[in-house]
Amino acid sequence: MIQLFNVGKVYQNGAPALHDISLKIPDGDFVYITGSSGAGKSTLLRLLYCAEKPSRGQILMGERNTTRLKSRNIALLRRDIGFVFQDFKLLNNRSVFENVALPLQVQGLSKQEISTQVYQMLQYVGLEYKLQRKPLELSGGEQQRVAIARAMVVNPRLLLADEPTGNLDHELAVEIMEMFTRINETGTTVLIATHDKEMLERFPHRTVVLHGGNIVSDDSPDSTDTCEETT
Amino acid sequence: MERFRYFLQRTVFSMKQSPLLCSATIGTVAIALMLLSFFTLIVLNVQNLTKQWSRDIQVVVYLDQVPSQTVLEQWLEEIEQYPEVEQVNYISQQQAFERFSERLGQNKDLLDGLMPEVLPAALEVSLTETARSREGTERLISLLKNNKEFHNFRYGQEWLDRYDAFIFLLQLTGTLAGGFLVFATLFIVSNTIKLTIYARRDELEIMGLIGATPMFIKAPFMAEGAFQGIIGAILALGGCHILYYFFLKKGLAALLTTAAAENIHFLPLIVQIAVIATGLLLGFIGSLLPLRKFVRI
Ligand SMILES: Nc1ncnc2c1ncn2[C@@H]1O[C@H](COP(=O)(O)OP(=O)(O)O)[C@@H](O)[C@H]1O
Ligand SMILES: [Mg+2]
Repeated sequence: MIQLFNVGKVYQNGAPALHDISLKIPDGDFVYITGSSGAGKSTLLRLLYCAEKPSRGQILMGERNTTRLKSRNIALLRRDIGFVFQDFKLLNNRSVFENVALPLQVQGLSKQEISTQVYQMLQYVGLEYKLQRKPLELSGGEQQRVAIARAMVVNPRLLLADEPTGNLDHELAVEIMEMFTRINETGTTVLIATHDKEMLERFPHRTVVLHGGNIVSDDSPDSTDTCEETT
Repeated sequence: MERFRYFLQRTVFSMKQSPLLCSATIGTVAIALMLLSFFTLIVLNVQNLTKQWSRDIQVVVYLDQVPSQTVLEQWLEEIEQYPEVEQVNYISQQQAFERFSERLGQNKDLLDGLMPEVLPAALEVSLTETARSREGTERLISLLKNNKEFHNFRYGQEWLDRYDAFIFLLQLTGTLAGGFLVFATLFIVSNTIKLTIYARRDELEIMGLIGATPMFIKAPFMAEGAFQGIIGAILALGGCHILYYFFLKKGLAALLTTAAAENIHFLPLIVQIAVIATGLLLGFIGSLLPLRKFVRI
């Protein structure tokens, strides 16, 4: 369970990004954060993986209040979270295998364990034949699948994705979304920031709409409990 | 163990990846430490030489009257107890006369017909190494003055002042130049390493995102810096030895007597170890400084 209580964020340069966000995300949920560009979607995700500290309010991840963590504890917290970014954030001078192995190396697993887990994960995303390639030798969709493999190889309880389909054409985007759906079915909480209307319609899930740093709506497609918030 | 192997791999890999920056770091450390150790070499040798000269620093007490044997022995015993005193010798009138005539050499006939009693008897007091300075000499003289018989002293006052000033100047320039050199090197090295780190800032960011602790991210860079520093220091010692061999050993041997040339030594082992440790620290701190800026989680 992720809980945000009256969270606000003002960047160092004075730009207000989030005003007063209160949000509950139960374990195993699939949630879209959407809204126009500059609405604060990325900022909200950055707060969740502690890349930024909230200016106001409290954030609970499970039992843990992440508002004021030391850098070592932030590192430990991130080992439970997988990330997927629009620009993939892969290491271009290392092979696909090494990229996916990185989070396991960080956690100090043995070579043996790393090899098996990485291979299984690459099979899962369908890239086991390209494990020696460098990321730039792959297509956009393949790179995104490497990024997903890297995020999922540690078996995270939470998967965060910031515009994961923004750089992909339609077919690849659908493929990636199907992958997120499968991941969610195994019990991982999935949180996706996107403004891709088409995907929202094609894969309907709970949708939190941001506008100017506030939540303007929070709807689940298959239930009646809808909470509207206005500014 | 897995981690250690991982760090080792990353270090080797990273140095292979940017050989230019790597050799720039090693080269900077090598040149700076070579200058520094050659300078140290010269300072140490000059100090060594002056230490030999300074054996001549002594206080001479002229005696108005020739003391009796018992009184003399009493005085010698007393003076030997002073902490500043290395040795004390009695020079009788006869000995003083002989020395003087020896010093006159060919003109010794000037002394013909003179009695040895024209010259006063004296006590020659030589100082311990630590007391060989103006201060030490003055301390000794004030002690000697406790004895009313001792009031006529001679000590190379001017010489002492110059000696003190020389040693002070040597140490001051050494410290200042050395300190400046070390800081300049640290500045250059940390900027070179900053380039390496900057080129890999994406990697640092990604490592942080996937849950690497700051220490885990920094360790390969610091190991790399320290390793490059050690290599640089070893090269510096090698270069310093070449300078020493050709300029000091061979070069000065032509100018100096062989005995003096033999007294020129290379850096003692402990200083060599210190040079290598300085190289290690330069590389280590040189990478730590820019890392503090780039590794922020
Ligand atoms: N690192 C930053 N420093 C300063 N202002 C920022 C930073 N990141 C985002 N902002 C500002 O915060 C607001 C929200 O940005 P963001 O969260 O990136 O929105 P979105 O992802 O929905 O497009 C914008 O006005 C943006 O200019
Ligand atoms: Mg964004």
